[in-house]
Amino acid sequence: MAITDLSPATGVAEPARAAMPPGIGTAVTRIDAEEKVTGRAVYSGDVRLPRMLHGAVVRSPHACARVLHVDTSRAARVPGVRAVVTGADTAKVKWGAFRPDLYPMAIDYVRYVGDEVAAVAAVDIETARRAAALIEVEYEPLPAVLSLDEALAEGAPLVHEDAPGNIAHEFGYDRGGADAWFERSDVIVEGTWQTIRQWHGALETIGCTAEWTQDRVTLWVNSQTPFLARQRYATALGLPLRSVRVVLTELGGGFGGKSGDDNTSVICAILARRAGRPVQLLDTREEEFLASRPRIPMRYRVRLGFTADGLVTAKDIDMVADNGAYTGKAQAVLGAATVRHDALFKYRAVRARSRLVYTNLEPTGAFRGFGNPSADWAVGQAWDLAAQRLGIQMPELLLRNAVESGDVSPHNHRIGSCELKQCIQRATRAIGWYEKRADPKPNRGLAMGVSVHVSGRRSFGDYDGSSAIVRLTEDGRAAVIIGEGEVGTGSRTTFAQIAAAQLGIPVADVSVTRPDTDLTTHALGTLASRVTYVAGNAVQRAAEAACQQLLDAAARQLNRPAAELWVEDGHVRAPASDEDDVAVKVPVGTVVRAELYRQGGEPIVGLGSFDNPSEFPDQSRFGNESGAYNFVAEAAEVEVDPATGAVTVLELAAAVDCGTVLNPPLAEGQVEGAVAQGLGMALTERFAWAGGAPTRPNFDDYKLPTAGSMPPLRVEFADSYEPTGPFGAKGVGEIALDPVPAIIASAVADAVGVRIHELPITAEKVFWGIRAAAGRRDDEGER
Amino acid sequence: MAAAQRSTPVGFTLNGEDMQVHVRDPAAPLLDVLRHDLGLTGTKSGCAIGYCGACTVLVDGEAVPACLQMVGLLEGRTVRTIEDLAGPDGLDPVQRAFVAKAGLQCGFCTPGHIMALRALLDQDPDPGEERIRAVVDGNYCRCTGYVKILDAAREAVALLNAGAAEAQEAQKAQGAD
Repeated sequence: MAITDLSPATGVAEPARAAMPPGIGTAVTRIDAEEKVTGRAVYSGDVRLPRMLHGAVVRSPHACARVLHVDTSRAARVPGVRAVVTGADTAKVKWGAFRPDLYPMAIDYVRYVGDEVAAVAAVDIETARRAAALIEVEYEPLPAVLSLDEALAEGAPLVHEDAPGNIAHEFGYDRGGADAWFERSDVIVEGTWQTIRQWHGALETIGCTAEWTQDRVTLWVNSQTPFLARQRYATALGLPLRSVRVVLTELGGGFGGKSGDDNTSVICAILARRAGRPVQLLDTREEEFLASRPRIPMRYRVRLGFTADGLVTAKDIDMVADNGAYTGKAQAVLGAATVRHDALFKYRAVRARSRLVYTNLEPTGAFRGFGNPSADWAVGQAWDLAAQRLGIQMPELLLRNAVESGDVSPHNHRIGSCELKQCIQRATRAIGWYEKRADPKPNRGLAMGVSVHVSGRRSFGDYDGSSAIVRLTEDGRAAVIIGEGEVGTGSRTTFAQIAAAQLGIPVADVSVTRPDTDLTTHALGTLASRVTYVAGNAVQRAAEAACQQLLDAAARQLNRPAAELWVEDGHVRAPASDEDDVAVKVPVGTVVRAELYRQGGEPIVGLGSFDNPSEFPDQSRFGNESGAYNFVAEAAEVEVDPATGAVTVLELAAAVDCGTVLNPPLAEGQVEGAVAQGLGMALTERFAWAGGAPTRPNFDDYKLPTAGSMPPLRVEFADSYEPTGPFGAKGVGEIALDPVPAIIASAVADAVGVRIHELPITAEKVFWGIRAAAGRRDDEGER
Repeated sequence: MAAAQRSTPVGFTLNGEDMQVHVRDPAAPLLDVLRHDLGLTGTKSGCAIGYCGACTVLVDGEAVPACLQMVGLLEGRTVRTIEDLAGPDGLDPVQRAFVAKAGLQCGFCTPGHIMALRALLDQDPDPGEERIRAVVDGNYCRCTGYVKILDAAREAVALLNAGAAEAQEAQKAQGAD
């Protein structure tokens, strides 16, 4: 089968759609389903090694303090304890994805409640925890900055000496002359919106099992990014890269939270080296809430300008983001949260100033959406205000301004396949927008929002590629050897589908390895909605290369020109050459075996590689981040109880453009799960805080959505095809989360006239908003 | 292991086998005994406070969070875990339903969901939508948005009843012979 043209999309070229081969676009059963429903899948905490110990970590109770003394002697005397370590036992090297500012364990200072100070390994978890509690740490508490405003105040204490003003990173731009365009605008809306920390809440916490052999450590981890994590862990451990091997376990959910920016694996390795035995270290749920890398709180001041007929002119944002005490991925998130939104609409001018601010709070980082849900929370609501002011129905306003295929954003985002307008129309119909507008009901509100996401993003240097090996076996099967992992989305199943379709063999005959930095090709991992698009392309190319070798071998074996041969349903086939001949039908395995068992025999192994046709953005974030953009339009209807302020989401419609839908139930699952996380962010997910930390860091205070809280969802996919994608596919993992909080807030505003500016949208805030509005009406009545 | 300490014997039936474990602390959660002492890692730990449902097992047929079940209170009782569901004839109907309806993503909450539904179906082979929803509502899932878990739950009821009808038919046919 011929591979589709994979050259970068340029202009508005009509996509050349190949006919879909068997197994593409169908509900192929997940290849890992059986091991997951039987409990046999091996997650991070299920790894069992001979003589394995268990670890526990001592964490700072202070938001900011000097560490005066750590006494480990009592802990070390507890029977069953095999190792006790502190910052003194580390290489004392700072590490981090973009701005190295984190020690594996505290050196002199702690900077947030949860900062790692010491750790213990013992024969069982209870002993390790008991011993950890006996480590005595003497602190000198110091003034802490516990909010964005405190951190930005004149003369505020510095979280890090080398970050004046507590600014970890900042950038800005003015493209197209924003002031001039605001002057020419008929309507200007503005406002300030704030998001808060949202935790990934993966049901499986972060964990690692470490074992040393001589000078080399193997880490079995539940990481989304095994190769990038390996590099960072080596740095943190003060080791050369060759001394660290990372092997992926099953992942019990990630959502950005398992991207290797935390200290758990590093401490696990240090404990195992000291103990001379394997060590397993798993975050407790409380530790996950205190010391993982939740979503970055962002405060946006937004201004939007429009002409009287509803064409957008200019956008201006001033954003500050709460980095917490250490940086991780927040610097990259800041970029996406600032520029990405500008690829949605035909802005004439955009201006931004964004600052990442250190605080003495839990470090923040990557979370599904990568800043876009916060951008949408602010900018999406500003668009809703504009629709009100302009007197234009939201679907119509969005349609007037939506980008189209061939458009180029102010940041040089080159829009290839784009069915945003189709998505808006589908969402409008699915929610029954105009029918509901024609028949309004008291205390009910309607809102719509849109978003854009990447399919892979060039951010870890000038490479956003992937590669894969497809090995054909002598029993006619294919093994896909790839370093890209499975976070739960079904990527291994997708790879199997793509390889099977490209090769012409059944999906059941394809296996997909798990990442192991010793064995598989380099991979950036499950982030930025990149796996289907970037790694899928690599798998397709590897399968194509293997298929070509197979056909060449068969051509020699059968004495037929390769061009006459093809593979179908696990057999190499050729038509009868003349009336006396019979059609060729040879099992793939027979050809592979015959290619091996001969003088000078060779295996059939295809290598495929794909680099995202994108640009590495410059310091001002100018550059085409991704080779393909995916889009969503979502609409929600809510009902507000005016007596309590309680918000009920009555229904939510999501129409997604992710190119070809390779496996409908898997793609739907991405949309449904993302919407659920968006609803949690919108309505319930928050902690009670005191002294710079959640007071009760577990699920009894932090409420995830449950089955009973979910509204009916109407999920649709646009008829779409991405010419650079594998069988026309783009990313779909994150997009559907992005607009949810904003549209719930706008629907509440539509229902009862109360605009919520800070997440989450609680009944209490809505109730007091209704009361305040009633008070204003009374005042006006008296006047 | 750690210094010799007094241990308490507890006898119970685990997945159809009589079992005696010796625990240092009778208040230790069943979850730790399953996962660490008995090597049954199919039961997952999600919060350790009985909130998320990932560790759901059956004790005397009731779905309980193994993280809150003190092992010392199990004397003479019957425990069933996810490892016991699939047999020589293949997957349990509830498991088959989760496979067929794509009712899982990362799979970490899946054993808990399956055990909770198994308990429901043991008690009520034909529960209505409301009872299904009430049971699924008790277990967290962070991946799916629950749509396909509810689909799987309905499918499990259908599979179970189809299986029961088939067995009845077979019995009738045998009786006729």
